[in-house]
Amino acid sequence: MEVRGLVRQFKGGIRAVDGLDLEVREGEIYGFLGPNGAGKTTVVRILTTLLRPTAGQASVAGHDVVRDGDAVRRAIGVALQEAAIDPLMTGRELLRMQGALHGLRAAEAKRRAAELLDRVGLTEAGDRRVGGYSGGMRRRLDLALALVHRPQVLFLDEPTTGLDPTSRVALWREVRALHAEGTTVFLTTQYLEEAEQLAGRVGIIARGSLVAEGTPESLKARVGQPTVHVEVADPEGAERAREALADLGEVEPPNPAAPARVAVRTAAGKAAIAPIIRALDEHEVAVESVEVETPTLDDVFMAVTGSHLEGAAAQETTA
Amino acid sequence: MSLGREWRVVMALGRRATSVQFRRAQLLMPTFVLPLMLLAVIASGTSAAQGLRGFPDVASYLTFVVPGTIVQGTILAGLTAGIAMASDIEFGFFDRLLAAPVHRTSLVLGRLFGTLTLALLQSSLFLLVALVFGAHYPGGVPGALATVALAGLTAVGTGGISAAIALRTGSLSLLQSLFPFMFVLLFTAPAFFPRELLAPVLEDVSVFNPLTYVVEGVRGLLAGDAELGDPAAGFAAAAGLAVATTALATLAMRERLRRT
Repeated sequence: MEVRGLVRQFKGGIRAVDGLDLEVREGEIYGFLGPNGAGKTTVVRILTTLLRPTAGQASVAGHDVVRDGDAVRRAIGVALQEAAIDPLMTGRELLRMQGALHGLRAAEAKRRAAELLDRVGLTEAGDRRVGGYSGGMRRRLDLALALVHRPQVLFLDEPTTGLDPTSRVALWREVRALHAEGTTVFLTTQYLEEAEQLAGRVGIIARGSLVAEGTPESLKARVGQPTVHVEVADPEGAERAREALADLGEVEPPNPAAPARVAVRTAAGKAAIAPIIRALDEHEVAVESVEVETPTLDDVFMAVTGSHLEGAAAQETTA
Repeated sequence: MSLGREWRVVMALGRRATSVQFRRAQLLMPTFVLPLMLLAVIASGTSAAQGLRGFPDVASYLTFVVPGTIVQGTILAGLTAGIAMASDIEFGFFDRLLAAPVHRTSLVLGRLFGTLTLALLQSSLFLLVALVFGAHYPGGVPGALATVALAGLTAVGTGGISAAIALRTGSLSLLQSLFPFMFVLLFTAPAFFPRELLAPVLEDVSVFNPLTYVVEGVRGLLAGDAELGDPAAGFAAAAGLAVATTALATLAMRERLRRT
């Protein structure tokens, strides 16, 4: 998937997407992270041919989204943000209809519907109307609908928004399984944890533009090193601990509010715990506890946009 | 594009349209109940019209007005097509259809296939109910079957109009507000009185209303008497309406996609 200089301007001159460039490799899970109103859904709608770009180019599975929309639609599966499912239909009916929309013959669509209902754990609910499904069941059905024709590229637009933790984890498991089968997944999310858990690479979008991109680890490394916090048993030993750890990283100055705490910034992160314990032992400093604090994607978001992800939605909409 | 593939798409969407409309009782009931209520009121309240000079020689006034009921049914069935389509647009289901690799015209035809099915069932029911209450069909079973077919074709035409409006506006509330306006089509056709007994203005307007020829065609079919109405003209008007409005809905679809 390749996007170059993508722009989408709505009535009133609002630029929901503003010169976006991105590239998604075959077989990867690409996490598209940003607050509400950042332009994520607009990008998904353009890439799935539901919306025309105002300017720029985009191709999915090697096909141009404007010139060769039908080929794009054959290659993709889409689960949109608001699971657009007819509440009066049953899960099985929807799957069979979706199969027909993708060219499956009746018998094949019937078989595939049964297979997918089983895959997403909805076999028992398959003949019930979707109006009676829980939010998690609807999302799982939506995912199954997107998989009917075994798409090369799967678009998941905020697939777990509003779901309880159990349903969220179940959906993550399914996305990982699809990735293992070789499906390319373009996942938009406003949840940091989701991006970290699933995505091989993350693109951060703010005000319609990509402001950072990379693996979660490389993005976090950009904003700082992990910090190992050591709580010594006796505050009087803190200074001795700082001397002992000086060679293992950048030791932070004493914090009068927490005299027993010693903080060391080190790129080694968790791997630094053993050397730190050994060094403290050699200097006869008793340790109460050790914690490793690593930068989060929210720190990355803060560094590149100046606001936290959770607070950014309000700013985006008032901007 | 393979025709066989598109046919499967139309059938699948038609099946969905048919089954879902029978699960939406609040939308479906009026399409069955209103025409029968109007038939009861008209047949009992204005049956004296049969004695007017110029009124054709028919077995009963009830028999004469059954075609009006059938055409009213086709108008309501057509309107439900637009309402269902606008509902799909408003609630996002239409995006699911647009994201599939199907010809856009198939999406319109699938919806109209549901309308066709509804109209076939409706008109069969209306004929049976009227028969039970004393209507006579000298045209026999062939006349009744041809009537049902003509009703189906007409409903595709009225469905095309409402589908075009739904695609152009995407507004469910607008479609719902069209209910009264659709009756203008009915009352500017000789649904309950012969054309000659309509007010001069209505008589002039009725010439341009395709439903005029459908009503008269049904009348001719049921009576087995082409003097009462020309079935060929009815089928020609209905087919013309169906082709024109399906094309209109397809154009509205293209315009909608162009605007996105």
